Amino acid sequence: MEQVLFRHNRPGRVVTFKEYCDEGGFNALRKAISEMTPNEVQQAVIDSGLRGRGGAGFSTGRKWSFVPRDLPGPRWLICNCDEMEPGTYKDRVLLEHNPYSLIEGVTLACYALGVRHAFIFIRRGYEKAANNLAQGLIEAKEAGLLGKRILASEFSVDIDLHLSAGRYICGEETALINALEGKRPNPRSKPPFPATKGLWGGPTVVNNVETLANVPAIIAKGPGWFKGLARNAEGAGMKLFCVSGAVKNRVCVELPTGTTLREIIDGPCGGMKPGTKFKACIPGGASTQFLTPEHLDVPMDYDTVAKVGSRLGSGAIIVFEEGCCLVAATLNLITFFARESCGWCTPCREGLPFVKEVLTRIEAGAGEERDIEILREHVKYLNYTFCALAPGAMAPLDGLLRHFEAELREHIVQRKCPFK
Amino acid sequence: MPKLIIDNLPVEVAPGTTVLEAARSVGITIPHFCYHPALALASACRLCAVKMLDGPVKGIQMSCSLPAQDGMVVSTTDPEALKMRALVIEWLMINHPHDCPVCDEGGECLLQDFTIAGGHSRRRYQGDKRTHRNQYLGEHIYHEMNRCIQCYRCVRFYQDYAGGTDFGVTGSAGRVYFGRFEDGPLESPFSGNLVDICPTGVFTDKTGRFRARYWDYQFAPSVCQHCSVGCNLAPQVFQREVIKIVGRRNDQVNSWFICDRARFDKKGINDPSRPRAPRVDGEATDYEAALDALAARIYDFVEVHGPESLAFVGSSRLSLEGCLMLGELVANFDAASLSFYGDPAEAKGSQLATELLSGENVAAPADLASADCIVLLSVDLMNEGPMLAPFIRKAWLGGTKVYRIADPALLSGQQLPFDCIEAATLAEVPLEQASRAIVVCHATRTPREELSDVAATGARLAMLQPGPNGFGAALVAREHGARPFDELLAARKVRGIVAFESDLPVANLKGITVLGCADWQATELSQKAGVFLPTTTWMESTGTSINFEGRAQRFERAFRPGYPLKGLDAKYYAQSRYGEPAPGQPKTPPPQPPRIPRGEIPGGQEIEAWKAMARLLEKLGGELIVEPLTGSWQPLRDIDPEAGGERIFSLFKSSEPDTL
Amino acid sequence: MIPEQLKKTLEARVAHAFSAREAAVDVMKDLQFHYGWLTDEAVGEAAEILGLSRLQVEELATFYEMIYRRPVGNKMIHICDSISCWNAGYEKILDHLKARLGVEVGGTTADGQFTLVPCCCMGRCGDGPLISIGSTIYDNLTPELVDQALELERLSGSAAPEHQGQA
Ligand SMILES: Cc1cc2nc3c(=O)[nH]c(=O)nc-3n(C[C@H](O)[C@H](O)[C@H](O)COP(=O)(O)O)c2cc1C
Ligand code: SF4
Ligand code: SF4
Ligand code: SF4
Ligand code: FES
Ligand code: FES
Repeated sequence: MEQVLFRHNRPGRVVTFKEYCDEGGFNALRKAISEMTPNEVQQAVIDSGLRGRGGAGFSTGRKWSFVPRDLPGPRWLICNCDEMEPGTYKDRVLLEHNPYSLIEGVTLACYALGVRHAFIFIRRGYEKAANNLAQGLIEAKEAGLLGKRILASEFSVDIDLHLSAGRYICGEETALINALEGKRPNPRSKPPFPATKGLWGGPTVVNNVETLANVPAIIAKGPGWFKGLARNAEGAGMKLFCVSGAVKNRVCVELPTGTTLREIIDGPCGGMKPGTKFKACIPGGASTQFLTPEHLDVPMDYDTVAKVGSRLGSGAIIVFEEGCCLVAATLNLITFFARESCGWCTPCREGLPFVKEVLTRIEAGAGEERDIEILREHVKYLNYTFCALAPGAMAPLDGLLRHFEAELREHIVQRKCPFK
Repeated sequence: MPKLIIDNLPVEVAPGTTVLEAARSVGITIPHFCYHPALALASACRLCAVKMLDGPVKGIQMSCSLPAQDGMVVSTTDPEALKMRALVIEWLMINHPHDCPVCDEGGECLLQDFTIAGGHSRRRYQGDKRTHRNQYLGEHIYHEMNRCIQCYRCVRFYQDYAGGTDFGVTGSAGRVYFGRFEDGPLESPFSGNLVDICPTGVFTDKTGRFRARYWDYQFAPSVCQHCSVGCNLAPQVFQREVIKIVGRRNDQVNSWFICDRARFDKKGINDPSRPRAPRVDGEATDYEAALDALAARIYDFVEVHGPESLAFVGSSRLSLEGCLMLGELVANFDAASLSFYGDPAEAKGSQLATELLSGENVAAPADLASADCIVLLSVDLMNEGPMLAPFIRKAWLGGTKVYRIADPALLSGQQLPFDCIEAATLAEVPLEQASRAIVVCHATRTPREELSDVAATGARLAMLQPGPNGFGAALVAREHGARPFDELLAARKVRGIVAFESDLPVANLKGITVLGCADWQATELSQKAGVFLPTTTWMESTGTSINFEGRAQRFERAFRPGYPLKGLDAKYYAQSRYGEPAPGQPKTPPPQPPRIPRGEIPGGQEIEAWKAMARLLEKLGGELIVEPLTGSWQPLRDIDPEAGGERIFSLFKSSEPDTL
Repeated sequence: MIPEQLKKTLEARVAHAFSAREAAVDVMKDLQFHYGWLTDEAVGEAAEILGLSRLQVEELATFYEMIYRRPVGNKMIHICDSISCWNAGYEKILDHLKARLGVEVGGTTADGQFTLVPCCCMGRCGDGPLISIGSTIYDNLTPELVDQALELERLSGSAAPEHQGQA
């Protein structure tokens, strides 16, 4: 199968700068600088149908187009490699194999946006990815592909790495901006959106690693080609799926958007773990709704997954087997979110521990009928928070109530977890 | 001008107004915690939820951060909005202690109000409450972190608004904590505002805890008399004791805040040894007798020495009414002198301000926030006008450069909440390049020539005065030809004085008889006076003072003077807890005021200084004046104490300010 | 007191930054690496280097998961307790660790060698259950593998740097 991001991967090691270049690496940058205006680069990204791989799935090219080009002062690009959403490890796998696509992608984005200085914000614990990037930046600079007057053009870019110290909320783009500035990483209110007022008050684009790493191929081979990689009309390009949970092989693979869940599980994952049966999965990282066996043939693209009441999110598929208690699974997820709340707004800071308390009781056999109402209220009203963390936290609970209410009630009626 | 509908009422507001503020403008209070008009938006508490029924945005929205737009149809009572608000309260009460009965905030607590209003009364959360450790924050503020509802008002005030760096927020998620790095007194001179700004009882005023509830207090709009900024405040008085002092909004002068001196310095007013009784030659007597004695002594003195040997002395802490009445007293004697200041520099400077300033070239404190260049010219800002600092900080945060031309004598320990560029002279400051420059200076320290230079650049002046009513005193001084007391001394004519709330140093008065002295505190002068007349403090008075920018502000009497009911030895009761004597204190409490029916308040003979003057004047054969604000001053009578005050320049159109 | 050299490095880091604050996390991490945890003294030093108050450093330090404001053992043992590792059975591994080390969650072993802390997703969800000891990851764990890992780490002493400064 055609690979875009994983095209340069070598098993068990990182691709070298030379290998990457030999395989056509940095040709997209050459092409853009010599043949394309910044606007044409942006237009190609719009036309390619590339959507943000960080979770929200917003059109990347359109996001770029919101950046005002006429304001005085610097503009910024930040690559979001916070990747702390449970289940998600695709950006790490990509960078541990190949930092160059990202470096080239960031440089191209800077070219399109007229950015002079970019940051790559890396989560804690990704030392290997960070080292690869640091090495790659040096190599690219030495080769004249980065730094002052790239490829002898007027275009200059510097890229800095910022290593975080661990907090999921740092992945939220405005919290990330605060974190980079050395402030407490609470999100900022939107509007103003970062595109107009972001890092140090300047127009700022925040893009995910995978998003930016796709840009070189789009420029090299054209937006039509990229779009056509998808399996269906709704999709565009390839997507990294990182699978965990009850499958035989827990792998991170690059597949066309629109591939179905069943194809992913039965294909690269080699089916379910021996002796287990598919019960449910979370399709796009911890902040997405459960899908059930009836959704196995849903094509995995942003719109279609949204239509069935979940989200493609980060493409992190977490598979649960028959016999696994989804109340307990949801409790684990809520515990994560409650701990990672930044503490800024009331519903998230206090509501998540409330949900956790209720689920803990239900799981322990001390649930009451009225608890279900409490959970429903939270699913609805935790939408009205300051940032998207709490609504994301409610997604699995929403899925639980929608598809597995019976299981929840079993806990209450039996006064114990039916799976224990 | 966006037009919208809120709860079926049509509302039209200025662009940029939020839905919450728009609702408020038609009398609808949308519950809120984190929103505060003086602070940056947080949108953190989520209590201000309303439902947008129609218009550009729909559904549940936070009204505090939503700009009003044309066509919006807002419901504050929609069941969904009510549910959201009820949930916010329920979430906050998950961890809030059931403290109200033992909480000093009770009765003036936003959380209490909105919890009751939201109807929350049944606990559904079954876990434990989260608890925190409290910190020692100094002698002024008590910390009770368990009551925190994480609205972030305190940090936004302390760090962002006031520029403090030793208090903030630590931790994340449910563990966020508002405090210091370690126990210790808060360093900001504005720390007391935490008490006002915290919507719950996390910060309470240690100097007045557990004395009374909100509904027990007597309140009145008052004006701080500690410096010439004239911040608006309100004393909270219980049984003739000032328990607490809180800030009062005046957008032009102090926004919502006051400095710690204004808030915590109640000693003088509550001082148990405050002179309460009139005295003649050291013997207590009643007011009438004391006035008679003083009038007789003045009469005799003038008979013997002639009126030219007599001086009436006031001060810049005397109210405008007092200053004017003093003028009348002097006018009663052909050749007597009038003086408001001891030091000629103070007198001249004060005078200079009244001559130079006009409505056009004077800057109000709030104007500093939007200045594009600020100069501190030989001022000790944190002592002489501390509440200007947050406005300067605001401008500085917005990129305005602040220059300081330092007077070495004033530099010690100046901790400003903004950075300054040091300059040696005004010439080094690029004033001409600014269009909204303001020079902050002090009346007594700035030579006229230097001010002419400033004026030439079009910069405006914030010229601080030596006393709270320095501007008023100077105006009256000009009207009545007052002279600095040092000058009178040098002329060697004065042989006797009558002083009203004056701080003249006694050492200067060799060979001069202090015929009478009226004051509310025991000054050196009052000890020396033949006749002593106790006066009321500004909190027990209704009157007017004029701040440095020529803004006349009315203050109203908050309570009638007299011994506080708690007893004659305030110290005893201040140290005792729940009536138990403190270690080292006698077992029997000192006497309460005698419990006999009486018409007058024990120790309550004090009257406003100007009234003492009026009665004295009457006894000296003058006419009884019942209203000192007459003639061109008359319009000041109508100033609404809660409407921000009025610049006096329009009153004196006849006497155009000098050209600089 | 930190060595002059480290101080210089940190000051250079701050000088390289667009604003001093931007370097705050780096500075805290390096000081933590030096002291083992971010001591009160280190907070004071960070404050000085960054031009902030100690409280302002504390505001940042207490936000992040990987900055320790309390003493910890020579090596941190982090065990991922997020959803994929939960599904892979991290709870068994945690129980095993607690028993082997004789500590509760958050505790430090009596010999001061290890501190056991659960943490959120390490971005290796396909390899759970997993822990990190110092900077080394041990994945696809079974109780037996845990024992081996502990043995190995005990032998390798206290030198495992977990929080290198700049990559
Ligand atoms: C709580 C929270 C955590 C997030 N974490 C990440 C993350 O780790 N990586 C990421 O790329 N985007 C993350 N996002 C999404 C970002 O806010 C942002 O939308 C994204 O980086 C934009 O990049 P994209 O347009 O390329 O997807 C997170 C969002 C939220 C609300
Ligand atoms: S939703 Fe949670 S993470 Fe987002 S701002 Fe509110 S408290 Fe912080
Ligand atoms: S802070 Fe308010 S609600 Fe809380 S205990 Fe005090 S009075 Fe009651
Ligand atoms: S201490 Fe008071 S002002 Fe500060 S966050 Fe808590 S409730 Fe709000
Ligand atoms: S008042 Fe609007 S969110 Fe707090
Ligand atoms: S859930 Fe454990 S590493 Fe991601």
